[in-house]
Amino acid sequence: MTLEEVKNAVGGNVVVDVPEAQASCAYASDLLSDVMGHSGEGAVLITIQNHLNTIAVCTLVGTEIIVVCHNREIPPDMAEAAKREGVAIVTTPLSQFAASVALSSLPPVER
Amino acid sequence: MTIADVVVALNGKLMAGDGTSPRVVGAVVANDLMSDVLLVDADDILLLTSLASDQAIRTAHIVGAMGVVVHNAKPLSETMLKVADDLHIPLVSSPLSKYDACVKLHDALEAEKRA
Amino acid sequence: MEGYKPVILQGQQTNDDEILEKSPPIDAATLGGDSSVIIMELLQRFKVRDVMKRKVLSVPRKASLREAQRIMRESRISGLPVSEEGRLYGIVSVNDIILALDGGWIEESCEDHMATNLVVLEAGMPLSFALRYFNNYSYGRFPVLDSNRQLVGVISQRDVMRALLYELSVEIRKLERKTATVTGEAEPAQNVNYFRREYAVVRNDLSSAGHAANEIKKLLKEHKVDRVVARRIAVAAYELEINICIHSHGGILTLVIQDDAVTITAKDRGPGIADIEWACRDGTSTANDWIRSLGFGAGMGLSNSKRVSDEFDIQSEVGKYTRVTCVFKLNKQAEGAAQ
Repeated sequence: MTLEEVKNAVGGNVVVDVPEAQASCAYASDLLSDVMGHSGEGAVLITIQNHLNTIAVCTLVGTEIIVVCHNREIPPDMAEAAKREGVAIVTTPLSQFAASVALSSLPPVER
Repeated sequence: MTIADVVVALNGKLMAGDGTSPRVVGAVVANDLMSDVLLVDADDILLLTSLASDQAIRTAHIVGAMGVVVHNAKPLSETMLKVADDLHIPLVSSPLSKYDACVKLHDALEAEKRA
Repeated sequence: MEGYKPVILQGQQTNDDEILEKSPPIDAATLGGDSSVIIMELLQRFKVRDVMKRKVLSVPRKASLREAQRIMRESRISGLPVSEEGRLYGIVSVNDIILALDGGWIEESCEDHMATNLVVLEAGMPLSFALRYFNNYSYGRFPVLDSNRQLVGVISQRDVMRALLYELSVEIRKLERKTATVTGEAEPAQNVNYFRREYAVVRNDLSSAGHAANEIKKLLKEHKVDRVVARRIAVAAYELEINICIHSHGGILTLVIQDDAVTITAKDRGPGIADIEWACRDGTSTANDWIRSLGFGAGMGLSNSKRVSDEFDIQSEVGKYTRVTCVFKLNKQAEGAAQ
């Protein structure tokens, strides 16, 4: 899925734009240790952890797109780090459950 | 959809609490941050979480949840099982990820509506 | 100074059946009269944990008897538990000190001279049970262990009496109100119903953090508080309890149920909040990464509590304390006068 597709599926707002960002699957979690342990490579991360540490973990698991749920505000240091590391951030009013369901309707991208 | 149905839908296993409870899923909340769960204004919540701790159960009790599912077949501590039994909260372990579980539950709930 | 007798027990555990046999039962016959029903009910309803003192003075095993003597003198207690990290190893009594001074071994370690065959009470035991122990042994106080054999408190007869007297006065007031209504006298307008419960919250004890809120939720249900209001109260209690646990040096969570309102108060021993306005904002938190990895520290605690309560007050002094009070209005019950 492309960033554009993700944004449309969750009815969201692109807060950090990385136009070429893509994902081949999705993973929902707010516990960063859990993301590191179980996320598929290159997944969309669905979370409410609007925290700088989230970006670090994304780089470790190859996540290029984060969907932040419940329209949580993205702090400036998180946005800067995301831009630097090439991780796109989309905020959505949806819950993690609804966002997961929304993304499941998208076809995965062949890399 | 009762907790027994949830166990089936998520290839899960009931680890504590009453699996025969007649309460049905009112809303699905997939969240690991307990303070966020406290904000939810729904009844009969099914809590999906990766947080395998007593706190998940205690938070579920506070919001009157009808059950808790812990993902990725994470091992559950003895105290967590005990707290779930004490507070009468059905606790299910599922090998699925939270994302996959959300999708499966959504499909099952939709199927119910159509039936 | 309470009288002290050395531990007589042989073997490991107390034989509860033996105790029950030997001491007179706490029942109507023994206590006499109708008031005994209330007393009996109170004695069954309340557990050791509801009444015990949670702050336990103790010494580690390697501390000297002189050190134990100093503590016992300063705090005016006649028995001092020897414990480390919650595990109870023994008790040093005034008698042990007297023998040590006489025999010249006051500088030796508590470990070498403490009593180790101990009579202990369990936190979940009803008071009626505990009273039999007081009857049977002349110790002034008993250490209290939880189900994990951890030392969680100390209970004395005075603690029990004080709690009983308080609760009895509450029951009596309730009875008086009922009588007044039946005889047609004007019912006093003020709030007579008053139920209060306090819970100690231990710093960083995340394994039991939230237990008070769970208890409070159950109590609200028992007191037939409206379901929706009860949930708001439980949420505030939980948030405040977790706050005490992860952000403070420890403190107390108090529940008060009255006719027209429920109040939750959280008071801790510090470190205090420098910028209260910042702390009450959504998403601001001083939580560290460890706390966040456990699912807390999203910075919603105070703002959530404020949001769900009808009245919210927070006072704090850096280095000293923080006190948060949440009030929840209850609809006056229409059946009040018809009791």
